[in-house]
Amino acid sequence: MKWRVIDYTENTASMNMAIDESVSESVAKGESSPTIRFYGWKPSAVSIGYFQSLEREVDLAKCSEFGVEFVRRRTGGGAVYHDNLGEITYSIIAKEELFPKDIIASYKIICGYICDSLGLLNIASEFKPINDIITNNKKISGNAQTRRNGVLLQHGTILYKVDVDKMFSLLKVPDEKIKDKMIATVKERVTSIEQQNSSITKDQLYRALVNGFTKDKEIVFDSLSQPEILRAEELTNTRYKTKEWNFMR
Amino acid sequence: MLYQEKVPGGKLVCMEIWPSQDGSAASKVKITGDFFLHPEDSITDIENSLVGLSLACSQNELTNKIQNSLNKNNAQLIGVTPEQLAEIFLKTTMQAEVSK
Repeated sequence: MKWRVIDYTENTASMNMAIDESVSESVAKGESSPTIRFYGWKPSAVSIGYFQSLEREVDLAKCSEFGVEFVRRRTGGGAVYHDNLGEITYSIIAKEELFPKDIIASYKIICGYICDSLGLLNIASEFKPINDIITNNKKISGNAQTRRNGVLLQHGTILYKVDVDKMFSLLKVPDEKIKDKMIATVKERVTSIEQQNSSITKDQLYRALVNGFTKDKEIVFDSLSQPEILRAEELTNTRYKTKEWNFMR
Repeated sequence: MLYQEKVPGGKLVCMEIWPSQDGSAASKVKITGDFFLHPEDSITDIENSLVGLSLACSQNELTNKIQNSLNKNNAQLIGVTPEQLAEIFLKTTMQAEVSK
Protein backbone atom coordinates (compact mmCIF):
# COMPACT_ATOMS: atom_id res chain seq x y z
CA MET A 1 0.00 0.00 0.00
CA LYS A 2 1.58 3.25 -1.16
CA TRP A 3 0.73 6.42 0.74
CA ARG A 4 0.79 9.85 -0.87
CA VAL A 5 2.42 12.56 1.23
CA ILE A 6 1.53 16.16 0.45
CA ASP A 7 4.20 18.55 1.64
CA TYR A 8 3.36 21.47 3.95
CA THR A 9 1.44 24.27 2.25
CA GLU A 10 -0.34 27.29 3.69
CA ASN A 11 -3.85 28.10 2.62
CA THR A 12 -6.91 30.05 3.65
CA ALA A 13 -9.21 28.42 6.19
CA SER A 14 -11.91 27.64 3.63
CA MET A 15 -9.38 26.15 1.19
CA ASN A 16 -7.81 23.97 3.88
CA MET A 17 -11.15 22.42 4.76
CA ALA A 18 -12.14 22.14 1.09
CA ILE A 19 -8.90 20.28 0.23
CA ASP A 20 -9.51 17.78 3.04
CA GLU A 21 -12.98 17.13 1.63
CA SER A 22 -11.94 16.97 -2.02
CA VAL A 23 -9.16 14.49 -1.20
CA SER A 24 -11.67 12.43 0.83
CA GLU A 25 -13.89 12.28 -2.24
CA SER A 26 -11.09 11.22 -4.56
CA VAL A 27 -9.91 8.56 -2.08
CA ALA A 28 -13.51 7.30 -1.81
CA LYS A 29 -13.70 7.00 -5.60
CA GLY A 30 -10.38 5.14 -5.69
CA GLU A 31 -8.82 7.94 -7.73
CA SER A 32 -6.21 8.82 -5.10
CA SER A 33 -4.00 6.83 -2.75
CA PRO A 34 -4.36 7.15 1.00
CA THR A 35 -2.99 10.57 1.78
CA ILE A 36 -1.06 12.29 4.54
CA ARG A 37 -1.17 16.04 4.21
CA PHE A 38 0.56 18.77 6.22
CA TYR A 39 -0.62 22.35 6.19
CA GLY A 40 -0.76 25.74 7.82
CA TRP A 41 -3.32 28.52 7.97
CA LYS A 42 -2.68 31.80 6.18
CA PRO A 43 -4.02 34.07 7.47
CA SER A 44 -4.41 32.68 10.99
CA ALA A 45 -7.88 31.28 11.52
CA VAL A 46 -10.34 29.82 14.00
CA SER A 47 -11.96 26.53 13.09
CA ILE A 48 -15.03 25.31 14.93
CA GLY A 49 -16.41 21.81 15.27
CA TYR A 50 -19.33 20.66 13.14
CA PHE A 51 -21.80 20.88 16.04
CA GLN A 52 -20.70 24.18 17.52
CA SER A 53 -22.46 27.51 17.24
CA LEU A 54 -20.13 29.96 15.49
CA GLU A 55 -21.63 33.00 17.17
CA ARG A 56 -21.46 31.42 20.59
CA GLU A 57 -17.86 30.22 20.23
CA VAL A 58 -16.11 32.93 18.24
CA ASP A 59 -15.76 36.70 18.71
CA LEU A 60 -16.37 37.60 15.08
CA ALA A 61 -15.65 41.31 15.63
CA LYS A 62 -12.23 40.46 17.09
CA CYS A 63 -11.52 38.09 14.17
CA SER A 64 -12.29 40.91 11.78
CA GLU A 65 -10.11 43.33 13.77
CA PHE A 66 -7.12 40.94 13.75
CA GLY A 67 -7.64 39.67 10.18
CA VAL A 68 -8.33 36.16 11.48
CA GLU A 69 -10.54 33.92 9.33
CA PHE A 70 -13.10 31.43 10.60
CA VAL A 71 -14.50 28.20 9.22
CA ARG A 72 -16.71 25.32 10.32
CA ARG A 73 -15.06 21.90 10.03
CA ARG A 74 -16.83 18.75 8.86
CA THR A 75 -15.48 17.06 11.99
CA GLY A 76 -16.81 17.43 15.51
CA GLY A 77 -14.74 18.65 18.44
CA GLY A 78 -14.01 22.11 19.74
CA ALA A 79 -12.97 25.52 18.49
CA VAL A 80 -9.28 25.84 17.64
CA TYR A 81 -7.20 28.94 17.01
CA HIS A 82 -4.75 28.12 14.21
CA ASP A 83 -1.98 30.68 14.50
CA ASN A 84 -0.02 31.02 11.26
CA LEU A 85 3.30 30.71 13.10
CA GLY A 86 2.21 28.67 16.08
CA GLU A 87 1.22 25.24 14.82
CA ILE A 88 1.33 22.56 12.14
CA THR A 89 -1.86 20.85 11.03
CA TYR A 90 -2.03 17.41 9.45
CA SER A 91 -4.74 15.39 7.83
CA ILE A 92 -4.80 11.69 7.15
CA ILE A 93 -7.30 10.48 4.61
CA ALA A 94 -7.69 6.80 3.83
CA LYS A 95 -10.20 4.04 3.22
CA GLU A 96 -11.81 3.06 6.53
CA GLU A 97 -10.66 -0.53 6.24
CA LEU A 98 -7.04 0.55 6.80
CA PHE A 99 -7.95 1.43 10.39
CA PRO A 100 -9.92 -0.25 13.18
CA LYS A 101 -13.69 0.10 13.05
CA ASP A 102 -13.56 1.29 16.66
CA ILE A 103 -13.17 5.05 16.50
CA ILE A 104 -11.13 5.52 19.67
CA ALA A 105 -8.80 2.67 18.58
CA SER A 106 -8.22 4.47 15.27
CA TYR A 107 -7.57 7.77 17.10
CA LYS A 108 -5.00 5.92 19.15
CA ILE A 109 -3.18 4.63 16.07
CA ILE A 110 -3.08 7.97 14.26
CA CYS A 111 -2.25 9.93 17.41
CA GLY A 112 0.51 7.36 17.88
CA TYR A 113 2.16 8.76 14.73
CA ILE A 114 2.31 12.14 16.49
CA CYS A 115 3.68 10.61 19.69
CA ASP A 116 6.35 8.84 17.58
CA SER A 117 7.17 12.18 15.91
CA LEU A 118 7.51 13.99 19.23
CA GLY A 119 9.62 11.10 20.49
CA LEU A 120 12.09 11.86 17.68
CA LEU A 121 12.43 15.29 19.30
CA ASN A 122 12.90 13.68 22.72
CA ILE A 123 9.49 14.88 23.88
CA ALA A 124 7.55 12.14 25.63
CA SER A 125 3.81 12.24 24.96
CA GLU A 126 0.77 10.00 25.12
CA PHE A 127 -2.68 9.70 23.61
CA LYS A 128 -5.41 10.83 25.97
CA PRO A 129 -8.87 9.72 24.86
CA ILE A 130 -11.04 10.99 23.37
CA ASN A 131 -8.92 13.04 21.00
CA ASP A 132 -5.96 14.70 22.71
CA ILE A 133 -2.23 14.15 23.03
CA ILE A 134 -0.60 15.23 26.25
CA THR A 135 2.95 15.78 27.32
CA ASN A 136 3.78 16.28 31.00
CA ASN A 137 0.01 16.17 31.59
CA LYS A 138 -0.58 19.15 29.31
CA LYS A 139 -2.32 19.15 25.95
CA ILE A 140 0.01 19.58 22.97
CA SER A 141 -2.22 18.30 20.19
CA GLY A 142 -5.94 18.14 19.45
CA ASN A 143 -7.46 15.88 16.81
CA ALA A 144 -10.81 15.27 15.14
CA GLN A 145 -12.11 12.49 12.94
CA THR A 146 -14.98 11.83 10.62
CA ARG A 147 -15.94 8.92 8.41
CA ARG A 148 -17.94 9.34 5.23
CA ASN A 149 -18.46 7.13 2.19
CA GLY A 150 -16.04 4.53 3.49
CA VAL A 151 -13.26 7.07 4.05
CA LEU A 152 -11.67 8.09 7.33
CA LEU A 153 -10.51 11.69 7.64
CA GLN A 154 -8.62 12.72 10.73
CA HIS A 155 -7.07 16.12 11.08
CA GLY A 156 -5.35 17.71 14.02
CA THR A 157 -2.88 20.30 15.15
CA ILE A 158 0.44 20.12 16.92
CA LEU A 159 1.16 23.25 18.92
CA TYR A 160 4.55 24.73 18.20
CA LYS A 161 4.06 27.99 20.04
CA VAL A 162 0.97 28.97 21.98
CA ASP A 163 -0.46 32.38 22.77
CA VAL A 164 -3.34 31.69 25.14
CA ASP A 165 -4.19 35.39 25.56
CA LYS A 166 -4.55 35.83 21.79
CA MET A 167 -6.56 32.61 21.63
CA PHE A 168 -9.00 33.89 24.26
CA SER A 169 -9.32 37.27 22.59
CA LEU A 170 -10.81 35.41 19.62
CA LEU A 171 -12.78 32.68 21.36
CA LYS A 172 -15.78 33.42 23.54
CA VAL A 173 -16.15 31.93 26.99
CA PRO A 174 -19.50 30.91 28.48
CA ASP A 175 -19.15 33.32 31.36
CA GLU A 176 -17.15 36.56 30.98
CA LYS A 177 -16.91 36.85 34.77
CA ILE A 178 -14.63 33.81 34.95
CA LYS A 179 -12.67 34.55 31.77
CA ASP A 180 -9.41 35.37 33.63
CA LYS A 181 -9.68 32.17 35.62
CA MET A 182 -10.32 30.17 32.45
CA ILE A 183 -7.28 31.71 30.76
CA ALA A 184 -5.14 30.80 33.79
CA THR A 185 -6.50 27.24 33.72
CA VAL A 186 -5.83 26.83 30.00
CA LYS A 187 -2.30 28.20 30.46
CA GLU A 188 -1.76 25.47 33.04
CA ARG A 189 -3.29 22.75 30.87
CA VAL A 190 -1.84 23.52 27.43
CA THR A 191 1.76 23.38 26.29
CA SER A 192 3.74 23.68 23.07
CA ILE A 193 6.93 22.38 21.52
CA GLU A 194 8.58 25.71 22.31
CA GLN A 195 7.68 25.41 25.98
CA GLN A 196 9.02 21.87 26.10
CA ASN A 197 12.28 22.66 24.34
CA SER A 198 12.88 26.17 23.03
CA SER A 199 15.79 25.06 20.84
CA ILE A 200 13.51 23.05 18.51
CA THR A 201 12.60 24.98 15.35
CA LYS A 202 9.27 24.69 13.57
CA ASP A 203 11.08 23.13 10.63
CA GLN A 204 12.57 20.46 12.92
CA LEU A 205 9.07 19.74 14.22
CA TYR A 206 7.83 19.38 10.64
CA ARG A 207 10.64 16.98 9.69
CA ALA A 208 9.89 14.91 12.79
CA LEU A 209 6.19 14.80 11.88
CA VAL A 210 6.95 13.63 8.34
CA ASN A 211 9.18 10.89 9.75
CA GLY A 212 6.72 9.88 12.47
CA PHE A 213 3.72 9.72 10.14
CA THR A 214 5.53 7.82 7.38
CA LYS A 215 7.44 5.31 9.53
CA ASP A 216 6.93 1.75 8.21
CA LYS A 217 4.90 3.05 5.26
CA GLU A 218 5.69 2.98 1.58
CA ILE A 219 5.33 6.62 0.54
CA VAL A 220 5.55 8.93 -2.40
CA PHE A 221 5.73 12.71 -2.11
CA ASP A 222 3.22 14.13 -4.55
CA SER A 223 0.90 17.07 -5.02
CA LEU A 224 -2.87 17.35 -5.24
CA SER A 225 -4.30 16.22 -8.58
CA GLN A 226 -5.85 18.80 -10.88
CA PRO A 227 -9.38 17.43 -10.29
CA GLU A 228 -8.77 17.61 -6.51
CA ILE A 229 -7.70 21.26 -6.79
CA LEU A 230 -10.69 22.17 -8.97
CA ARG A 231 -13.10 20.38 -6.62
CA ALA A 232 -11.52 22.10 -3.60
CA GLU A 233 -11.94 25.49 -5.27
CA GLU A 234 -15.58 24.62 -5.93
CA LEU A 235 -16.11 23.52 -2.31
CA THR A 236 -14.63 26.75 -0.93
CA ASN A 237 -17.28 28.70 -2.83
CA THR A 238 -20.21 26.37 -2.38
CA ARG A 239 -19.60 25.40 1.25
CA TYR A 240 -16.69 26.60 3.35
CA LYS A 241 -16.94 30.32 2.53
CA THR A 242 -20.72 30.43 2.79
CA LYS A 243 -22.80 31.85 5.61
CA GLU A 244 -25.16 28.87 5.29
CA TRP A 245 -22.36 26.52 6.27
CA ASN A 246 -20.42 28.60 8.79
CA PHE A 247 -23.51 29.88 10.64
CA MET A 248 -25.36 26.56 10.25
CA ARG A 249 -25.72 25.97 14.00
CA MET B 1 -34.67 27.34 27.28
CA LEU B 2 -30.94 26.82 27.22
CA TYR B 3 -28.68 24.68 29.36
CA GLN B 4 -25.12 23.51 28.89
CA GLU B 5 -22.98 21.04 30.69
CA LYS B 6 -19.60 19.42 30.30
CA VAL B 7 -20.33 15.74 30.60
CA PRO B 8 -18.05 14.06 33.18
CA GLY B 9 -15.19 12.47 31.24
CA GLY B 10 -16.78 13.65 28.03
CA LYS B 11 -17.60 16.74 26.03
CA LEU B 12 -19.54 19.99 26.35
CA VAL B 13 -23.18 19.76 25.29
CA CYS B 14 -25.53 22.71 24.95
CA MET B 15 -29.25 22.06 24.55
CA GLU B 16 -31.78 24.64 23.42
CA ILE B 17 -35.47 23.82 23.56
CA TRP B 18 -38.24 25.97 22.17
CA PRO B 19 -41.51 25.04 23.93
CA SER B 20 -44.84 24.74 22.15
CA GLN B 21 -47.37 27.59 22.55
CA ASP B 22 -49.01 25.96 25.55
CA GLY B 23 -45.58 25.25 27.05
CA SER B 24 -46.14 21.52 27.37
CA ALA B 25 -43.95 20.07 24.61
CA ALA B 26 -40.78 20.73 22.65
CA SER B 27 -41.49 22.42 19.33
CA LYS B 28 -37.83 22.75 18.31
CA VAL B 29 -34.59 21.34 19.73
CA LYS B 30 -31.02 22.31 18.93
CA ILE B 31 -27.97 20.45 20.27
CA THR B 32 -24.57 22.10 19.98
CA GLY B 33 -21.18 21.44 21.54
CA ASP B 34 -17.76 19.88 21.02
CA PHE B 35 -18.89 16.23 21.02
CA PHE B 36 -18.56 13.85 18.07
CA LEU B 37 -21.29 12.09 16.12
CA HIS B 38 -20.70 9.89 13.10
CA PRO B 39 -22.27 10.57 10.61
CA GLU B 40 -22.47 14.21 11.61
CA ASP B 41 -25.64 15.10 9.71
CA SER B 42 -27.66 12.61 11.76
CA ILE B 43 -27.79 15.30 14.46
CA THR B 44 -30.86 16.72 12.69
CA ASP B 45 -32.65 13.42 13.05
CA ILE B 46 -31.78 13.23 16.77
CA GLU B 47 -33.09 16.78 17.29
CA ASN B 48 -36.26 16.00 15.35
CA SER B 49 -36.81 12.81 17.35
CA LEU B 50 -37.23 14.98 20.45
CA VAL B 51 -39.66 17.43 18.88
CA GLY B 52 -43.24 16.95 20.05
CA LEU B 53 -42.21 15.20 23.27
CA SER B 54 -43.72 16.39 26.50
CA LEU B 55 -41.34 18.53 28.55
CA ALA B 56 -42.27 16.29 31.47
CA CYS B 57 -41.54 13.00 29.73
CA SER B 58 -39.35 10.39 31.36
CA GLN B 59 -35.59 10.06 30.90
CA ASN B 60 -36.18 6.53 29.63
CA GLU B 61 -38.50 7.70 26.88
CA LEU B 62 -36.01 10.38 25.83
CA THR B 63 -33.12 7.91 25.86
CA ASN B 64 -35.14 5.49 23.72
CA LYS B 65 -35.97 8.19 21.17
CA ILE B 66 -32.29 9.17 20.91
CA GLN B 67 -31.12 5.56 20.73
CA ASN B 68 -33.70 4.74 18.03
CA SER B 69 -32.53 7.72 16.01
CA LEU B 70 -28.91 6.58 16.34
CA ASN B 71 -29.86 3.04 15.30
CA LYS B 72 -31.86 4.30 12.32
CA ASN B 73 -28.87 6.31 11.08
CA ASN B 74 -26.30 3.69 12.04
CA ALA B 75 -24.76 6.55 14.00
CA GLN B 76 -22.30 6.66 16.87
CA LEU B 77 -22.13 9.36 19.55
CA ILE B 78 -18.76 10.05 21.17
CA GLY B 79 -18.21 12.25 24.20
CA VAL B 80 -21.80 12.01 25.43
CA THR B 81 -24.14 9.04 25.78
CA PRO B 82 -27.85 8.90 24.81
CA GLU B 83 -28.68 8.68 28.55
CA GLN B 84 -26.67 11.82 29.26
CA LEU B 85 -28.32 13.67 26.35
CA ALA B 86 -31.71 12.70 27.78
CA GLU B 87 -30.65 13.98 31.20
CA ILE B 88 -29.49 17.26 29.66
CA PHE B 89 -32.89 17.60 27.94
CA LEU B 90 -34.59 17.32 31.32
CA LYS B 91 -32.12 19.69 32.97
CA THR B 92 -32.82 22.23 30.21
CA THR B 93 -36.53 22.12 31.00
CA MET B 94 -35.82 22.34 34.74
CA GLN B 95 -33.51 25.30 34.16
CA ALA B 96 -36.52 27.09 32.67
CA GLU B 97 -38.59 26.17 35.74
CA VAL B 98 -35.95 27.68 38.03
CA SER B 99 -35.77 30.92 36.05
CA LYS B 100 -39.58 31.42 36.02
